[in-house]
Amino acid sequence: MKLPVIETQNVTMSFGGLTAVDRVDLVVPEQSISSIIGPNGAGKTTLFNCVSGFYVPNDGEINFFGKKIKGLPTHKICELGISRTYQNIRLFNKMTSLENVLVGQHPRMNSMWVESILRNKHYRQQESQALQYAYELLDFLGLSDLADIPAFNLPYGAQRRLEIARALASQPKLLLLDEPTAGMNQQETAEMTSLIRILRDERKMTILLIEHDMRVVMDISDIITVLDHGQKIAEGKPAEIQSDQRVIEAYLGPGVDEITKKFKRKKTNNVRS
Amino acid sequence: MITSIKDGLRTGLTTAIIFTFLILIGFTSVAANIIGDVLGNPEALNDESQLPVENLLILIGLAGFITGLVTIRKGSSPPWIDVLLRGLTGGILAGLIVGIVIYIVGSFHMEGVDFRAYLPNLGTAQLGYLLFYSTPLAASTTYLLYFTVFSLVGALVRKTLTMLTGLSTQLKNLKSRVSNWSDTKVFKSFASNQLFQAGLIILVGVGLYFLPLVWGSYWNYIMGTVAIYILLGLGLNIIVGFSGQLVLGYVAFFATGAYTFALLTAPEPHAVGLNLWVAVGLSTLVSILTGLLLGLPILRLRGDYLAIVTLGFGEIVRILIRSDLLTPLTNGPKGVTNVGQPIWRGHIFTDINYMHLLMLLVLAGLFIAKRLKDSRTGRAWIAIREDQTVAQATGVDTYKYKILALLLGAAFAGLSGALFASRNQFTGPEDFTLMVSVNVLCIVIIGGMGSLPGIVLGAFVLKGLPELLRELADYRLLAFGALLVVMMIVRPEGLWPGQNNKKGKMAAFTNSLGEDNLEERA
Repeated sequence: MKLPVIETQNVTMSFGGLTAVDRVDLVVPEQSISSIIGPNGAGKTTLFNCVSGFYVPNDGEINFFGKKIKGLPTHKICELGISRTYQNIRLFNKMTSLENVLVGQHPRMNSMWVESILRNKHYRQQESQALQYAYELLDFLGLSDLADIPAFNLPYGAQRRLEIARALASQPKLLLLDEPTAGMNQQETAEMTSLIRILRDERKMTILLIEHDMRVVMDISDIITVLDHGQKIAEGKPAEIQSDQRVIEAYLGPGVDEITKKFKRKKTNNVRS
Repeated sequence: MITSIKDGLRTGLTTAIIFTFLILIGFTSVAANIIGDVLGNPEALNDESQLPVENLLILIGLAGFITGLVTIRKGSSPPWIDVLLRGLTGGILAGLIVGIVIYIVGSFHMEGVDFRAYLPNLGTAQLGYLLFYSTPLAASTTYLLYFTVFSLVGALVRKTLTMLTGLSTQLKNLKSRVSNWSDTKVFKSFASNQLFQAGLIILVGVGLYFLPLVWGSYWNYIMGTVAIYILLGLGLNIIVGFSGQLVLGYVAFFATGAYTFALLTAPEPHAVGLNLWVAVGLSTLVSILTGLLLGLPILRLRGDYLAIVTLGFGEIVRILIRSDLLTPLTNGPKGVTNVGQPIWRGHIFTDINYMHLLMLLVLAGLFIAKRLKDSRTGRAWIAIREDQTVAQATGVDTYKYKILALLLGAAFAGLSGALFASRNQFTGPEDFTLMVSVNVLCIVIIGGMGSLPGIVLGAFVLKGLPELLRELADYRLLAFGALLVVMMIVRPEGLWPGQNNKKGKMAAFTNSLGEDNLEERA
């Protein structure tokens, strides 16, 4: 049997008294698109931060192709092959698009600082390869015209794509996308959706994403995991999730009957007092 | 109406506060002297105890004039009556406050109160000058009059200028054309011509070789200092400008370099008598080791904490050098004299040799810094500066690269420290105060963070100019502060910003985007 790309066992992350992620088991099979959904504050991004090494979970294990990665520093995790994007875009603002992608290739290069002063053959070769690959990536994401523009000055949609380009530059096996279509219009969202599909089908990558846009999620996901209050409340194919009673409750609150009951009770209380 | 009066009063108050402050620290007479120099007025009157009053009057007039200019807001063109009102209220308030201060101080002075106990620069001669050698009442009336009249003139001039809008837009066009000269085709085709480049390099090289021979030892001394500070700036720029770690104790590495060299080559206190070039290498090495010692524990800190810890480190090194504990090793507060000087073709290094060596090192330093900046290493540093967390998640071992930056910076400081000690033939603990760190940091920031030409420019402005304007030496700190504040407002990206933070390019790009969008819609 093939090892899953990511397997979390019983991952728990708490801040003080708040348990943001509560005993979550998650399995991401190879070359799949898996989504994590859930209401705001459900612990989705915290789980992401645990996987990419920003946080070290209080409890549980995280395996990447069977290798334990819990507690590794983030650059080691990136070297192993996990890249990510951020909910609120975090590019290297003063660097150009090209430089951002070049930084992304850092873990795939090994030239030393002395070599860069001497400009020996190894350095020159590596640098020109990096440049070539960077242009390829920018082209792939439709950013080649913007290569020399500082990231800060890019239009919003381009910034989102540049983040993905930077993440792809390290040639990861797993790509973590935190709300890739947030703030995009319909056309941009459609483009992003097809891009994610291409990454899976043509680049043979595994993608784990957080997304709020249900149309996108139901459209592209192979597996959906639903979090609420840090706990996993459902998992399955899009069709299964859509009809799951607990998911509906998590999003829309408890049944309408109960709400009206509560409301009436309150009213009578008020009258009495 | 009311806003005009308010604006006028506000400006007047600001001028009054600044001017009063300048009077109290005794800056006004220095400034007046400079005005006198510029205009070629005689230094003193026939009676030698009295300075020419006109210079002071011109200074006051100038202050009033600027007040008037500032009362009219940028880009606005109020009606004439408002202009009058603004100029008058600003001038009157400024003149009134300054006048009252002069009157009070003057009255006490007449009664024989000595202000020097509280304000060391406000001696009898000073005060007499400020009172125009007449009574307090007459003097304060003069201040009021001058401020009012010239503020009015300033406001009217500003109004007239804004009325000539055609002129100002033309000026703007000219300005943008001048500032974009490096983008023009003619320049680019010239600059990319290899023959042209080679010619330029040879020309500059020959010029640099002959300059120290021609301009004499005084200039060699000043330019040597500038060169040492360029080297320091290049080193600190790797730490602060590239990798973005605010290290405030940079002087520590400078000091270790200088002392290592001095102790290894001077006859006192140890008489090691090491070969000088080996000593230069060793002092660089010791500085690097110091960097390692400091960097390993503290580079896990970020931002403010790092700044404070390194600030302490710089002072600790200086205090250790002069402490009783280390006096047997370092000669303590006396410092080390007769530091070794290199020998070149049978004679001891002259100022010209030092200058040539320093120029060579500066060029090498620029070369190294430039190549580092454009490499994988440099990109990793800049990524750390921009967002350390994300840089690490992008695969950069931030701790390792921060230490590397610190070590390379320390190496630059160690090398320039050795040269500094050798050139001065002396090194003492008071050469390595906090001010050195502050100076170098100012060079990096004012030149433009991470920009190499900016550092050269910054070193000339901050170390070269003060040497030439010796008269202002007492007010150097004041000028630094003012310069930093003005820079942060007017040119936050530095005098010569690095390529990526040029304002003009950004604006040009956003403009072009806007046009594209319009075309698409049309």
